[in-house]
Amino acid sequence: MSVMLLTGSEAAAYAAKLARIEVLSYYPITPAFPAMERISKFIEDGELNTEFVRVECDHSALAAALGAALAGSRTFTVSNSQGLLYMTEVMYHVAGLRQPIVMAVANRALSAPHSRFPEHGDAISQDASGWIQLFCENNQEILDTTLQAFKIAETCRLPVMVNYEGYIQSHTQEEVDVPEQKAVDALIPFNRIAALDVNNPQGINTVTGPEFYMDYKYHQNEAMEGALKVIPQVAREFAQVFGRDWQGLVEGYRMEDARHAVVAMGSLVSDARIVVDALRNEGRQVGLVKIRSFRPFPAAALRSMLSAVDMVTVLDKNIIFGAGGALGNDTKAALYGYRSLPVKSYICGLGGRSVGTREIRQMIDLAENRVEQRRDYEWFGL
Amino acid sequence: MTLSIKDLPQEDLFGPGNAGCRGCGAAIAGRQAMKALGPRTIVSIPASCMATLSGSNQRTAWQVPFYHTLFEIAPAVAAGIRAALDAQGIRDVNVVSWAGDAGTADIGFQSLSGAAERNDAIIHVCYDNEMYMNTNGQTGSQTPLYAITSNQRKGKQTCKKDMLAIMLAHGIGYAASASISHPLDLIAKLKKAAARRSFSYVHILTPCYRGWGIPTDQSVAVARKAVECGLWELYEVEDGVRRRTYEPSFIPVAEYLAPQGRFKNLTADKIQEMQDAVNRYYHREEGKA
Repeated sequence: MSVMLLTGSEAAAYAAKLARIEVLSYYPITPAFPAMERISKFIEDGELNTEFVRVECDHSALAAALGAALAGSRTFTVSNSQGLLYMTEVMYHVAGLRQPIVMAVANRALSAPHSRFPEHGDAISQDASGWIQLFCENNQEILDTTLQAFKIAETCRLPVMVNYEGYIQSHTQEEVDVPEQKAVDALIPFNRIAALDVNNPQGINTVTGPEFYMDYKYHQNEAMEGALKVIPQVAREFAQVFGRDWQGLVEGYRMEDARHAVVAMGSLVSDARIVVDALRNEGRQVGLVKIRSFRPFPAAALRSMLSAVDMVTVLDKNIIFGAGGALGNDTKAALYGYRSLPVKSYICGLGGRSVGTREIRQMIDLAENRVEQRRDYEWFGL
Repeated sequence: MTLSIKDLPQEDLFGPGNAGCRGCGAAIAGRQAMKALGPRTIVSIPASCMATLSGSNQRTAWQVPFYHTLFEIAPAVAAGIRAALDAQGIRDVNVVSWAGDAGTADIGFQSLSGAAERNDAIIHVCYDNEMYMNTNGQTGSQTPLYAITSNQRKGKQTCKKDMLAIMLAHGIGYAASASISHPLDLIAKLKKAAARRSFSYVHILTPCYRGWGIPTDQSVAVARKAVECGLWELYEVEDGVRRRTYEPSFIPVAEYLAPQGRFKNLTADKIQEMQDAVNRYYHREEGKA
């Protein structure tokens, strides 16, 4: 192993290299493009033996990746925001065809108005697409999760998005422990299934009538539910080899005897840890629940984390217009019928508006001091 | 090229059991093309009649791997398949994206242009029935001038986009037109395309009885008239060298147009206009039919 100073983009690129991706396809977009360029450089420098399909748009990027996956190759792509929206049709198609493509996503706000700054709106737009969605809190986790994503994808036969925020993570350097190739090879051996194979001709995606369609969807959802077991299992296997345990679906931080839980995902988690430490030092019983797997949503694991708290504050870097924050809504849905407790949901940090330790602390204070909520969710930082 | 029908394989890799209409030009084209392409071929077909008639539920009319893609992406998918085969060291497989006129010239054009510009080692086949037949026959860019469609009852007022010229403008090594009425010509062209390790484009005229308003047993005959009157020229451009592969007999264009329901509103002067255009194109004397 060697420790390197890497941006989140580079961490994703190193993971793709270590996973020995066979086909790469992408269309440049800000702020995801440094990850793309880094992998292309690995290929050009002869450090990575990968076929690169230089497509003319994001939609074709995922289409080419899909063709490659159907022909049995380990396939990777990178995108975000408008690119992800443009891919949306193919996103659902990939998931329905159960192809284990891994995509790094440098989360960015959606237009309009035009923004190139971070938030989770792009990922949330794909919440029903059938992709597993994992969120990372730092650059080490980006590398480790991307490696794990290949194992999860190929085990579940489902595509996986590895989310990290634009600039905050994609362009910020941190120390990252880069694993040895041999150890990675042992963790993620090739598990090749070629749906398109001249030696075993099959018709893929034939017109499907009411007698079959719903059953396909049932099995697709079963695979997604099955990922709730596979994701923690892969995290454990990874921890055994590399010593870093990302816990799988959710992670509780200082949740022992916590009365107030903060629920967050992505870059907010790192800052929230610092806030929780500070509040604990002041004697306040605050803990943190990190959502690592947004899809499938770990409702049972989250409920178990929240089994003894008196209140929950959810930080949402996204807005579903007229309905609130995605994480807040999912948290409430997970608790409904099991526990009755106040869940305060804050919409924050949209389009790159800064949310640091000070702001997270303010939201926690607001949640504790404001007994009556004006509505089901609040906007913070306007 | 002296291809004989005796040289063709007996087996049909596409056809039996397909759900095409009677006299479906697209299905005929598929059957003919597979005589050239053979069993080591992977076919991607976007949303279209051809995708729909190729299989449903657990049945397929293809004896080779067939993937029904989204509407816009057949060439991009094919490019990805080629990349995967290259990555796995599989060199002897034809990768074909097979799209209708919409999946080629309209909604599918961006990914087609991308694959052509990259010179991906795939064959793109356009089977052209000149309107959006899988949705009842609306106008598209491949609909010819004056043709009546389901959403232009008075006939299209602009010309058919010249896809072969557009594809040749990409600098590709091989492009050809073909017609189901000339199967040996069609098969020879696909064999040439398959022998290359670069992007090839083959555009096949495939009449559709419903859209064209012709009897179901006339698909091949009408396609032949399109060729013989000069409106559908059979040619290829191989590494920049253009060659007409069949010399038409120049029957009057009226013999092609008049029997078709989609041209029922054509007046004599419009037919003459089209005859004049053919005459000019082939440098024939004005007025000579």
